[in-house]
Amino acid sequence: MGRIRSWWGGLGKWRRIGIIAFLCCLLIIVGRLLFSTPQPHVELPAETLFGSFFTNTMLAALFTIIVLGAVCFAATRRMKVVPKGLQNIVEGLLEILINFVDDTAGKEYGRKFLPVVATIFIFVIANAWLALIPGFMTIGFWHTEGGEQVLIPFLRGANTDINFPLALALVSFVFVEYWGIRSQGFSRYVRRFISVGGFFRGMGMIFKGKVKSGLGALLAGVVDVFVGFIEFISELVRILSLTVRLFGNMTAGEILILMMIFLLPWVVPSLFYGLELFLGFVQALIFCGLTLVFLVMAVTPREEHE
Amino acid sequence: MGDIGINVPGLVAQLVGFFLLFGLLTVVLYKPVRRMLDERSNRIKESMEQAEQIKEQMAKTEEQVREQLGAARRDGQDILAQAAQMGERLKEEARGEARQEAEVIVARARTEIERERDAAIDEVKRQFVDLAITAAEKVVNETLDREKHRRLIEEVLEQAPGGKG
Repeated sequence: MGRIRSWWGGLGKWRRIGIIAFLCCLLIIVGRLLFSTPQPHVELPAETLFGSFFTNTMLAALFTIIVLGAVCFAATRRMKVVPKGLQNIVEGLLEILINFVDDTAGKEYGRKFLPVVATIFIFVIANAWLALIPGFMTIGFWHTEGGEQVLIPFLRGANTDINFPLALALVSFVFVEYWGIRSQGFSRYVRRFISVGGFFRGMGMIFKGKVKSGLGALLAGVVDVFVGFIEFISELVRILSLTVRLFGNMTAGEILILMMIFLLPWVVPSLFYGLELFLGFVQALIFCGLTLVFLVMAVTPREEHE
Repeated sequence: MGDIGINVPGLVAQLVGFFLLFGLLTVVLYKPVRRMLDERSNRIKESMEQAEQIKEQMAKTEEQVREQLGAARRDGQDILAQAAQMGERLKEEARGEARQEAEVIVARARTEIERERDAAIDEVKRQFVDLAITAAEKVVNETLDREKHRRLIEEVLEQAPGGKG
């Protein structure tokens, strides 16, 4: 090792660059020659495997569910007060999530929010990481489409099917609204979006003859109505942003890996696998973190302004 | 929306999948782990309380032992002091008794001596009288009545200084 280093140090700058370039070319040529892959076919909608709607992403989601269920079942089947082995690992990981939720939402709501937030995190990260197992996206059957041979993989990460992020976003939305209504009461919660009190007060003042102050109140009322409307829209836009963020990131990551495997089929794609591990974690954290924050916002009463 | 693949069956399937996992994880992950965490924290709290109690008890016991030791020491000192006092008193008593005895012995000795002396004086006096009478008889040649003489001499002795009385 020392000899190689001293030899390397003795070389000139341009020689070193040349050697690196040569190694890269070698890598590409050897990879292309020995491990060449067909040109990837990028298809955004999930491909159906059989029947009219059973897609490879559903199969992947089912796979994730089975793996998670099996691991958790094995870990918690015989719980001990002094944890050991798998129980310890699973407990430790879940405890990190519990602390995250409790720190953000407080002890009382933390207990209630944990199942949905943790399930979102676990499902997303498990989908992302399990999709990195070799065989996802690469094992499948050939299908002729418009005179072109296309590989239909048996398994494709569920995160890359837009129906999955959309389903999660809808779940997140429904839970947020449910907890908002449940903790604030229906009328109080809805008043965030429809606040016409100021408007009608202004109208009343004008009818009573106090035109000047009545007009001011009317204007404030109109602004209130507008703000409530924007609030309502932003509530709906969350669904879209959550969906597209997860879908876009995960799909892009997958296409990136496919392309890298196609372009530089040797050694290099491993780096992008590492990147995808990190991205999967980040996306899971963002999705569950945003859901948690929306939940906390929904259950926090807003000060009524008069 | 067909281009990116949104469709109702897919959406429903993924929703079902989510709730399947939700239920599954609730049963095999959240509930048991929560229970275990609660139990563990309860146990820790209990054992800490117990430790606190034991510590308190120990402190109390130590205090008691210290008190008992103190009491014992005080008792011992009392006993020692009493013993010393008693010794002192006994010594004092013994000394007093000895002195009394000595005094008695001295007094007895003194009376004895006085009696001896008196006896000796009486003896001397009696012999002196006899001697004087004998001498007088020799001188006077029995001219005088013996009884008269004795009386005479005793009268003289009575008047003489250093005589009895």
